[in-house]
Order: sequence, then C-alpha cells, then structure tokens
Amino acid sequence: MSENFEIRNMNMKVGSTLKIKGKIASDADGFALNLGQGSSKLDLHFNPRFHENVIVCNSLDGSWGEEKRDGHLCFSPGSEVKFTVTFENDEFKVKLPDGHQLTFPNRMGHSHLSYLNVHGGLHVTSFKID
Amino acid sequence: MACGLVASNLNLKPGECLRVRGEVAPEAKSFVLNLGKDKDNLCLHFNPRFEAHGDVNTIVCNSKDAGAWGAEQRETAFPFQPGTVVEVCFSFDQADLTIKLPDGHTIKFPNRLNLEAINYMAADGDFKIKCVAFD
Repeated sequence: MSENFEIRNMNMKVGSTLKIKGKIASDADGFALNLGQGSSKLDLHFNPRFHENVIVCNSLDGSWGEEKRDGHLCFSPGSEVKFTVTFENDEFKVKLPDGHQLTFPNRMGHSHLSYLNVHGGLHVTSFKID
Repeated sequence: MACGLVASNLNLKPGECLRVRGEVAPEAKSFVLNLGKDKDNLCLHFNPRFEAHGDVNTIVCNSKDAGAWGAEQRETAFPFQPGTVVEVCFSFDQADLTIKLPDGHTIKFPNRLNLEAINYMAADGDFKIKCVAFD
C-alpha cells in the first residue's frame, strides 16, 4: 500500500482505539501518523525519527504547538510493526510495538477525530478502529 | 445517505487484495463501497440494496467514468443481513474486478476504466467500516 494515505470522514470517538499494522521501508528516515480534524488541524502528530533516535509528538492548529519528545524509539527500518493509539478525553495513549506507552495531551479537547494520514516510510497493511 | 469514510492514496495494485470489514446497520436499506481513482472515476460502485430504489436484496454494481455512470450489473447473490458484521474482499486485474462476498461466493465486474491502481475508496450508506487490510 501507499506511503502517504489519507482517510477523511472517519468516525473515531473518545474511548476508541486505532490499531495500525505496517512495514517500515528499509531506507526510511522516519514516518508520521497524523490524527485530527483535517490536514491543518491535527490533534496528534506522531513522528518517529530514526536519524535523531526520537519520537516527536505535536499538535497542529494552524501552527505547530510545543513538541513533546520521547527517546524510547522502538521502531527500526525494514521491520514490521503494530501499534495502537487510544483516544481519551484528556490524552492520547500510544502503545508502541514493544509495549512501552507514551501519552500526548488532547490539547484542543476534541471528542471526535475524522482525519487520519500516514506518510513517510511506513507502508500501512491494515488499520482497525475499535 | 450519510457520507462515510473516504480513503485516498491507497495505491492498490493488480493482484493485491483489499479487505474491508464493517457493520451493517440494524435497519439497513442500502450501502455503497466505491473504488477507483477519485469520486468521479470509479472502477467499481458496489451497492448492496436491502430495500432501496425499488430493489430488494440485490447487489447493484456499476462504474463511473469522468462523472458518467456506466451500465448497471445486478447480482442475485445477496449474503448480507442488517445488523451483522461482514467482510468483503476486492481485487482486480486488467480484465475484471473480483469481489469475494461474506459467504465466499465471488462475483466479477469488468474493469471498464483500465486503472493501473486503485487509489480511492469511499463508503456510504448503512455500513460502518471497522477494519481495512491490504494483502
């Protein structure tokens, strides 16, 4: 599948979990998963960066918010990965492939997510919303 | 019908399979899964009708080329029930689209647009997508 796919009119409510499976390209520098209301209003920008050995999370509301960095990078180029994002009232909980969890505040307080975008070096093979 | 999920840049290639699992609403009248290049260029409009547009328990397939509908094709197989979770698999080659229905029965629809990749998928009507996988 594509390395830059986009979903609109998604119906992801507070309390639901998105499960993503995919394969990271062997020459990938990183990838980004965006969840929000549209391409310029993102409640969660989740961006593992391999060259910096860090996962950068942020929000975008016209302009970028304050970055939150986590050094627990358990993604690597060429691997198959599975991770989940749980959307709660006050925060996002991202459960990484090795079980480590990171959180990011729901800064804009939205209770519904309609937009998903994945770009960079992750080929998504499946996604599921529970 | 309420507008459902729209996915773009899927880049589904011939021989690959797109699996879509979702819930058919309890009072379902009809739902649609559209596949193609964009909303005006659909290699497949897949429309199971429980009771809609004068049809009862009929799958209507069609294509749309530059905004213009083609000739409808109707299927008698109808393995769908309101209030259930169903899975449908789509694949294509130069000649046909192949749709594997929830009971394993397959139907074919001609690949009229000769698309080299399916980049667009949209759901509409009484169906809520839960899971999408690319095999």
